[in-house]
Amino acid sequence: MKRLFVLAFIGLTACSPDDASYTDVPFAISKPSNFPDFAYNFEANMPTQAGFELGKKIFYDGRLSSDGTISCGFCHIQQHAFTHHGHSLSHGVNNEVGFRNTPAIQNLAFQNVFMYDGSTDNLDLQPLIPITSEVEMHGNLTSIVTMMQSDAQYRKLFKRAFPDAEIDTEHLLKALGQFMVMLQSSNSRFDKWRRNETGANFSGDETEGYQIFQQKCASCHTTDLQTDHSFRNNGLAVNQQLYDTGRERVTHLPSDKYKFKVPSLRNVEKTAPYMHDGRFYTLEAVLEHYASGVQTSETLDPILQQNGSPGIALTDEQKSKIIAFLKTLTDDEFLSNPKFSEF
Amino acid sequence: MATALLLISCNSDDNAPTTGTGSLNIEFDNVYQSNNLILNTQPNTTSQNEVLKIGQLKYIVSNIKLTKADGSIFTYPKSQSYFIVDETDEASTTLQLQNIPSGDYVSVSFGIGVDQQQWELGADGQGNFLALAQSEDMLWSWSAGYKFLAFEGTFTSPTVASETAFMVHTGKTGTDYNYTTITLPLTNSALVRTDITPQIHIFADASKIIDGQNKIVLSDNNSGGMGAMIMGGENLALITANLSQMFTVNHVHNE
Repeated sequence: MKRLFVLAFIGLTACSPDDASYTDVPFAISKPSNFPDFAYNFEANMPTQAGFELGKKIFYDGRLSSDGTISCGFCHIQQHAFTHHGHSLSHGVNNEVGFRNTPAIQNLAFQNVFMYDGSTDNLDLQPLIPITSEVEMHGNLTSIVTMMQSDAQYRKLFKRAFPDAEIDTEHLLKALGQFMVMLQSSNSRFDKWRRNETGANFSGDETEGYQIFQQKCASCHTTDLQTDHSFRNNGLAVNQQLYDTGRERVTHLPSDKYKFKVPSLRNVEKTAPYMHDGRFYTLEAVLEHYASGVQTSETLDPILQQNGSPGIALTDEQKSKIIAFLKTLTDDEFLSNPKFSEF
Repeated sequence: MATALLLISCNSDDNAPTTGTGSLNIEFDNVYQSNNLILNTQPNTTSQNEVLKIGQLKYIVSNIKLTKADGSIFTYPKSQSYFIVDETDEASTTLQLQNIPSGDYVSVSFGIGVDQQQWELGADGQGNFLALAQSEDMLWSWSAGYKFLAFEGTFTSPTVASETAFMVHTGKTGTDYNYTTITLPLTNSALVRTDITPQIHIFADASKIIDGQNKIVLSDNNSGGMGAMIMGGENLALITANLSQMFTVNHVHNE
């Protein structure tokens, strides 16, 4: 497969409301030079302009939920890198509250396992979790398909995206997958600096912060996406209201107890609160946890218990420089791109 | 003239016509050892001295293949090759396959669950099977995957006096795929013809799920007295292995 150019939104002129002349346009898929390899199976679901548009409509449609109010976009808010800013735990239908913090949706084409506990490893199927969960959208797939089949706008969008296919769960999931996989954040100041693009400068604090980050954080937060996709116990005190054992829920292995997925730190300035249960409201609180709050336990990551004492030694100055660096990961172009927004 | 007709007729009888396509039915007849499976009321005793009353048995049957005597294999079209057998819905227990090339088939192969190859394709090729699975309560909401087999009911044992719930759900957990492929020789050939629809009658012995080559003691999994809920962990691999011994061909009708 040829990978040409970063997120080229081409063929917009083909988007005329007149169906007879409409031709769908596949996106030219390419990888930013500072990114790791793609993990997504593009051959099984190649994103097109029309598939993306259909996926976007589905993403923002509350009618997928049992009471018609909760869309994907309800908890995944663009300007916060598609997280539920300010909410520790996700909210669902009938005022139900979930048991995890809403994760970001960005650069998912580079991820091979999803959710804090890695309960699924297929992006196109992942939406089944929030759509069907009783504490999230509690949707009924048969009703959703029926709703779409009886909606003229959906019929038109499906026809454009999948001319030879039925309106069914396969194709609504493929469209959602196409929308999600195109949500790529790769134009932060950090990216431009890493790619030596003109006008991308780092201050002294930011440069030093990046160096400290490389020494203190990058053994888990690897690559320019700042994750190695592994599951680790980072020493959080057990939240007894949730008693969430993380990866152990999936594997049932005692050695996986309290392990959660290492998240990407892209747009981390905008995705508060932090951790799987949203317990930390600020980046300062997160770094304070690593400096002084790490709890020992049988499954605590060995990297966090070196030289006999838990945690990562960090001075206040180092913390503030790391945060200065982390803020360079903010990608305003992504956070405000109208192509991704509901209206 | 009469002689000629007779010869032609004899000829065609000796070399059975194997052109065209026909249909084939596969019946999954759920049993418990040598008894028909009776839901809810029938006590069934395991080798571990536990007494099960089975409330539900459902499983996904997939990727059906038929092999002829000469070894050639007909693979049923993958996109049409996913079925849910539900003991409480008699119609679901007979799979009606169509457009099978005429021929004499000597074995059948199928899987229990949804295969890893399909999982890796995501939604691709699944049509509305996900919606069917959700309506049959065979979708694992927590993992965006399928329940491959659901076996539920109540049990008692020497250590559990009052009837206590059990639920066995198999499926993909983490990196363990837990898909089972089963190949069964037929007792007699299934003769698919344009005018013959054979029926392969399979016995599915529910006792094998937890009381097969691997013995799972429900009482040992009755966490806090809340019931034996087996949906992951080491037991799932043992149960998956048991499923490969669960199915036998009892007979084949050719009519």
